[in-house]
Amino acid sequence: MVLVGLLVVFGWIVVALLAPGLASHDPLAQDVSQRLDKPGENGHMWGADALGRDIQTRVLHGARITIPAGIAVILFGSIIGVLMGALAGWLGGLWDELLMRITELFMAFPTIILAMAITAALGRDIRNAIIALVIVWWPGYARLIRGIVLEIKHNEYVDAARCAGATGPWILFRTILPNSIAPAIVLMTLDIGNAILTFAGLSFLGLGPPPTSSEWGSMVNAGLDNFSQWWMWLFPGMAIASLVMAFNFIGDGIRDIFDPRLRRD
Amino acid sequence: MPLQVFFLRRLLLTIPLLIGITLVSFIIANAVPSDPVSANIPQNAFDNEEIIAAFRAKWGLDKPPHEQYLTYLGNLLRGDLGVSIKTSKPVLEDIRQFLPATIELASFGILIGMALGIGTGIIAAVWRNSLADYLTRSYVVIGVSFPIFVLALIGLNLLHVQWGIVAGPGRLDFIMRDPPNVTGLFMVDAALAGQWDKFANAFSHLILPAFVLGSYVAGIIARITRSSMLEVLGMDYIRTARSHGLHERRVVLHHALSNAMIPIVTVIGLSTANLMTGAVLIESIFAWPGIGRYAFRAATSQDFPAIMGVSILIASIYVLVNFIVDILYYFLDPRIRVA
Amino acid sequence: MQYTFTLDDSFLFNNGDSVTADDVVFSIQRLKYVNGNPSFLADGIDSVVANEDGTVTFTLPDVRPTFVTELANTAFSITNADVVRANGGTDGMDAAETDGAADYLNQNSAGTGPYQLESWAPQDETVLVRNPNYPGEPPYFDRILIVNIPEAATQKAALESGQIDIATDLSPDQIAELEDNADVNIWRGPGQWNHFLIMNADPEIGGPVSDPRVWLAVRLALDYEGYLQLWPGSVTPGSVMNYFLAGAFQDDRALSRDLDRSKALLAEAGYPDGFDIDLKYPDWNAFGIDMNINAQKVQADLAEAGINVTLAPGEFGIALEEYRLGNAGFGYWLWGPDINDPVDVLAFVPGGKVATERLRFTEERAPAEILELRDAVKKESDPMRRAELFDQIQVWLQESGNFAPFLYPPTQTGLRVGINGYNWHPQWVMDVAIISRDEM
Repeated sequence: MVLVGLLVVFGWIVVALLAPGLASHDPLAQDVSQRLDKPGENGHMWGADALGRDIQTRVLHGARITIPAGIAVILFGSIIGVLMGALAGWLGGLWDELLMRITELFMAFPTIILAMAITAALGRDIRNAIIALVIVWWPGYARLIRGIVLEIKHNEYVDAARCAGATGPWILFRTILPNSIAPAIVLMTLDIGNAILTFAGLSFLGLGPPPTSSEWGSMVNAGLDNFSQWWMWLFPGMAIASLVMAFNFIGDGIRDIFDPRLRRD
Repeated sequence: MPLQVFFLRRLLLTIPLLIGITLVSFIIANAVPSDPVSANIPQNAFDNEEIIAAFRAKWGLDKPPHEQYLTYLGNLLRGDLGVSIKTSKPVLEDIRQFLPATIELASFGILIGMALGIGTGIIAAVWRNSLADYLTRSYVVIGVSFPIFVLALIGLNLLHVQWGIVAGPGRLDFIMRDPPNVTGLFMVDAALAGQWDKFANAFSHLILPAFVLGSYVAGIIARITRSSMLEVLGMDYIRTARSHGLHERRVVLHHALSNAMIPIVTVIGLSTANLMTGAVLIESIFAWPGIGRYAFRAATSQDFPAIMGVSILIASIYVLVNFIVDILYYFLDPRIRVA
Repeated sequence: MQYTFTLDDSFLFNNGDSVTADDVVFSIQRLKYVNGNPSFLADGIDSVVANEDGTVTFTLPDVRPTFVTELANTAFSITNADVVRANGGTDGMDAAETDGAADYLNQNSAGTGPYQLESWAPQDETVLVRNPNYPGEPPYFDRILIVNIPEAATQKAALESGQIDIATDLSPDQIAELEDNADVNIWRGPGQWNHFLIMNADPEIGGPVSDPRVWLAVRLALDYEGYLQLWPGSVTPGSVMNYFLAGAFQDDRALSRDLDRSKALLAEAGYPDGFDIDLKYPDWNAFGIDMNINAQKVQADLAEAGINVTLAPGEFGIALEEYRLGNAGFGYWLWGPDINDPVDVLAFVPGGKVATERLRFTEERAPAEILELRDAVKKESDPMRRAELFDQIQVWLQESGNFAPFLYPPTQTGLRVGINGYNWHPQWVMDVAIISRDEM
């Protein structure tokens, strides 16, 4: 299963890198005389959309938006989360209380509503959608890392480092953070599928990239007005499903292999 | 720890959280760059200083932000969430109108998710590595990976448009009047009023969106049920129970499942609280007049009082559900009582 | 100029009260002073007076042949003064601040029509029931349900399954799919809405699109044929005057695409390599026409002339407010006439509502020639001369106006077989009181 997942993800990454060469058309080229062509008509393997653009081309190009967007959310979310969690765990006491209350607060806040409000306030584009998701994404990492830091704070090698005269920040960066990276990466692989799903959901609601974009969620949204032309929404929808599924297969495998602690939840 | 102390401690912990939630929603609502005045006063009145001043005074916009926040908190404690700019009705009244639709959808979705998830989870654990197990495990990944808005579109296209098995968007056929309002849950209200045609119609409208919503929850619950059951089934006391010749069904359902329930309850609680994301998507596709659609409209039209009201509502539900889960823990897990 | 009206005393309000001259005065003055959306319609009325003999006299500042047509707008409906006053209404000059009847009128009727309001849930549904005191022939249906179904696909499904009888927002593609359905008839007629691009005349706001040469360049860059293919059954408007108004330029007088000339004009205006600009428009399905689709085609069309457009759709209310306040630089909107008379086009002429208030094309910025044309046509009552003047105004708009009209979609309504009497009306869409159903 992990292997299948890896293959599919690898395939999508290759597609994303080589999209201009692989695709048969220009993703933005309109041809109103070929609008709503059925799959197979006029060389449109997966049909054409309401402006006569090639669906297959757009789905292939969409990988160039959706994959980096998902990675960006996870990456920035985990960086902020790891720092917050490490600080809370390391400083302890009042700081720990404060940082963890803030974390809890963002966990309790409804993801989609926070993200909707933020994109509505900042304006509709990819960058703002990513910012909105990062804001709701980091608490999971903060919680995880804080737990780990608390656990290893009094480990022998930390004590040893301290005895050797190491100062606080040095210990934090040289011993504790490296030990937190592995679990954070495990959580990232488990999480990336979910991040992509939420991002696609936001742009499906019209809060992501502008309508011309071939981002998958916004392609599904564009298909709503042409509901009977199923190819307009089914192909980008299946693209999201296949990518997220592949990431989740990998995540499941990694969970089983590396981290029995995560298996509990 | 006695129940009362545990209960009180958890209750006290929720207070700073709730205050923080109001603060965050207030900050977001006020971070919006556009001026609420220009969006809500007719153009002809725009040069009229008096009208603008009256509007600012009404919404407390003439005061510094911290005072606005305190005013808001004060009103909140009195149960006043302000007036929605979009619907020009009190936010509380709006919530009262839209929440039942979401409760009906979500509770049905959770029920479907629980039935599917716990059922397949047990089967997969009992017949480990069988075909059923593999199917369940694939379903788990597909269930949590498939974008529910795409699943909703496929379901709507096949089951409603093509085959006509279920009713389409909305809570009732458009020509049907709402059943007399008692609970706001159409199926319950229709049953109470003895309007069985409406009951059937409401069910036909509800089943597809609830199933789509439930499919995601089912995946999560199936995964945790399977792993939790596997862990418990491997334990000594189960083997003892078996060696004493207890019936296998009794062993699985009575001894094993009740002990495997703790993580399952946690997950059900968490998914209930996180159902909102799904609800926004499902409600917009199925034209379901619930709180998710209300929140979406509020957010896109920068209707601050409504955004804040809904955020506080949803976050409070999250806090409440977590609270209930903790209390359930207390009963399910004897260790907490000792600690 | 004065008009005196004699009231038809057979009409009663829905609560049984008779309609008096005082009710008329109250309704007109309340409209004028309440500062609501349509209040501007009453701007051109100096005074309304109830005479002792029960007639009503309107005084206008000057000769206005279109006045009676203007009064046919629904905003001039007569309401029951006693009832509205009892529920917080006022026709005083300070009505904008002190009138509080909106809540009452949002849920109740105080008028004379064949139907009255039973309930209204914003963005959801409106329920009308028969007015028991209506003196004419009672309408066919006991109750009319007007349901808001935002997704056109849902509307189509509801019509096909017989849940609804009339669907007004079907897209041209959906209409085509319904052709073969034996249970559905399609009503076809001229459209109501003119789709156009707007360009702000204030350089501070419009930037490059505040230059009259760019206005024409944009008009010449649009692929008019393409929009007709996107929306079957549509026509290309010849001007911003709505197609069905007398004397409006039809497609035979519409502009055609001329990219070379467009580029030359851009170069002349100082943009040989084009420019970057945001296109602001509502994220809205306008009666079956998804504005996002047209915006994307505009983007592609203008790219060929070198103009790099970024699409900036906004929620309807927010986009509308920006446009109304005159803060949109480059945008995409549509227009259905307020008055069923060619004078409606004057809104697009400098000094008019859309041109000046929304796009800052003020009289100071405008050449004298168009202002003279405008003043002349307002007072002209000779039909031939009037038609000539409107012809000249449209020629001017085509050459020098700050609008680029590009699409005039048809009205296509889906009706269940058996529904009779449906007729589209450019102002109130349909008269529900004359619709009936074949008895089964």
